Amino acid sequence: MEHDVTVRKGTTVVALKGEIDLDNSPAARKLLLDSINDASRVLIDLSGVTYIDSSGVASLVEALQVSKKNGTGFALAAASEPTRRVLELARLDKVFTIHDTVDAGLTG
Amino acid sequence: MSGIPPGDDRRDPDRIDRRKHPALSGHLELLSRMSGHLAVTLNIDDTIQKALGLIVHFVKAEAGSMFLLEDNATRLNCKASVGPVNINGLVLEADEGIIGQCVTENRSRMVRNVSEDPDFDQSVDESTGFQTRSILCAPMNAQDTRIGAIELINKQGSDGLFSEPDLLMLQTLATAAALAIRNARMAEKLVAQERVNREIELAIEMQRSLLPKPRATTFPVCGINLPAHEMSGDFYDYFELEDGRICFSLGDVSGKGMDAALLMSKTASLFHCLGKSIHEPGVLLATINKELCETAFNGMFVTMVCGIFNPETGATILANAGHEPPLLHATDGSFRAFPASSPPLGILPLEAGIDGIIDESFRLDGGTLYVFTDGVTEGTLGNGRCLEVEGFRDIISAHANAPAAGRISAVIDRLRESSQQRHDDITLLAIDDNANRPHRMSADNPAKLLARLKFRAHAEELQHVREAVRTACEQSGCSPALAQDLVIAVGEAAQNIVRHAYRGVDPGEAVLEIFLENGILEFRLLDSAPPVEQGKVQPVWPEDLKPGGLGVCLIHDIMDEVEYLDTPSGNGNILRMAKFIESDKNGT
Repeated sequence: MEHDVTVRKGTTVVALKGEIDLDNSPAARKLLLDSINDASRVLIDLSGVTYIDSSGVASLVEALQVSKKNGTGFALAAASEPTRRVLELARLDKVFTIHDTVDAGLTG
Repeated sequence: MSGIPPGDDRRDPDRIDRRKHPALSGHLELLSRMSGHLAVTLNIDDTIQKALGLIVHFVKAEAGSMFLLEDNATRLNCKASVGPVNINGLVLEADEGIIGQCVTENRSRMVRNVSEDPDFDQSVDESTGFQTRSILCAPMNAQDTRIGAIELINKQGSDGLFSEPDLLMLQTLATAAALAIRNARMAEKLVAQERVNREIELAIEMQRSLLPKPRATTFPVCGINLPAHEMSGDFYDYFELEDGRICFSLGDVSGKGMDAALLMSKTASLFHCLGKSIHEPGVLLATINKELCETAFNGMFVTMVCGIFNPETGATILANAGHEPPLLHATDGSFRAFPASSPPLGILPLEAGIDGIIDESFRLDGGTLYVFTDGVTEGTLGNGRCLEVEGFRDIISAHANAPAAGRISAVIDRLRESSQQRHDDITLLAIDDNANRPHRMSADNPAKLLARLKFRAHAEELQHVREAVRTACEQSGCSPALAQDLVIAVGEAAQNIVRHAYRGVDPGEAVLEIFLENGILEFRLLDSAPPVEQGKVQPVWPEDLKPGGLGVCLIHDIMDEVEYLDTPSGNGNILRMAKFIESDKNGT
């Protein structure tokens, strides 16, 4: 898994890339929680994610819960087909705010 | 300084007036100096020489010597001498001369004029040229133990004769010297004991290193050795041969203690070395027997079992030299014993023309072969009774569903219930025919094996599992969308093995097998972790968002059939997941 963190229009954009599984989901979890604690608005760009397993999904869920507590804005964007499928299977596609594109997420 | 002149003792009523008691004050000063010297040194020779030097100086003798009893108190050896002639090393019979009498009768002597004493031995003076006129001699004792004596010769001054106060002084000093010598001897013993202890620790470490290193839980052989004392007279070993078979052995050396431990080390080394080139257990044991007979010691012998196990087929060859019969626990619950076909090793060489003891060939057929020492069957239980073979069978049967390591632990736990000190080493080896058995292709299972992947139950291996699933899906003509789902499901199942099944255990190996049969794509995940409780793999959607629970939901959502199969040996888990793919291939 690779990642890229940028700040655009006052929003911290965390782009996750590659496969997120048990091997690297702890790193992904830390990255997400750190971003939420440091920013007022966080957008997760999932366009480069080729695979995500339940441990990766759990990291997203935990990030959502912490952001709600902190009052930090949190949304997903540009979910790749594999990510979208797992979120659908997990019935979480309605739990998260998922923007079609990163740009939409920045203005939305 | 105050106005009180030196020597005025008005300030301290207990202080000794040196002017009134010059001798007493000097004695105490000497005792104090001697104690000081003796306290800092624990070296006997040093102690003796220093003590004698102070005594000779203080009593104002021309010469002095200290003799210590040696050789079970039969001889007196001069360990220190002061004066014009060095007589160190002079050895006398324990009752020889004035000093001998002094020691034997345990009383001090003063010979004011030796020319008038019939006990005086002139020979030393004759050989050294020294002229002895007067002798003081006091025995040295510490806590009723005779240590030796101190002899002083010729008072310095005009007549060269000692007086009564000199003798009293010597007696006091001899007692102090005796205590110092005893202390130094005890210190020497302690140091020696410490050195022996360190060497024993090293030997224990070395002996432990002869045992095989623990393998992954999926490895078919595992064992345990618990020494009753520091060193063990038991051993076990196993290693893989180049053809994939596993050579194993377990032995018990007669007797206990260091000699048994050394013979154990020798026998274990012989097995480890010869076992790599001799692949017939009967011949191997006979060869070890020959070596042990050549260096037989003290009637010691070794009972030993040696075998070769083929993990692919379960085929086993076993030879038993005088050892407790190993037990085969078959999958139907029955037990079969393999009694010894020869006497123990190290007693008699085989007759000429016979190159091996009789060995036996059989198959484990999914069962487990247990080899153990009598420390197991004769081990004491909490109720004070011995475990016996029946008790061993009962524990094994009761834990038949546990992995081999768990069954061994169950036996050891029972033997640890007793508070009695163990007298014998406990050694137990299990050869478990679990590997591959339930999944071997057979005539009534014509399914096509698309892939078989053995992987370490470790997170970084999960990507290989997914890759294997992707490839198999491609081969079987699945649509990309279905392939993606199947990768998710199998990935979650494999992740569960990593996360749950091996929790707290060194990651072992697991196996993924993918079959295709009549339009059904079947995935089997095999692990050797403790069996999964069926209730825990039911989906608990949607409350359970934890990744483990979520993973199970995903598996059930994607797969058409999810079930745990019974493993023939009762070890580990087989998770079977099936997906009907015909409709997917037809595009319906």
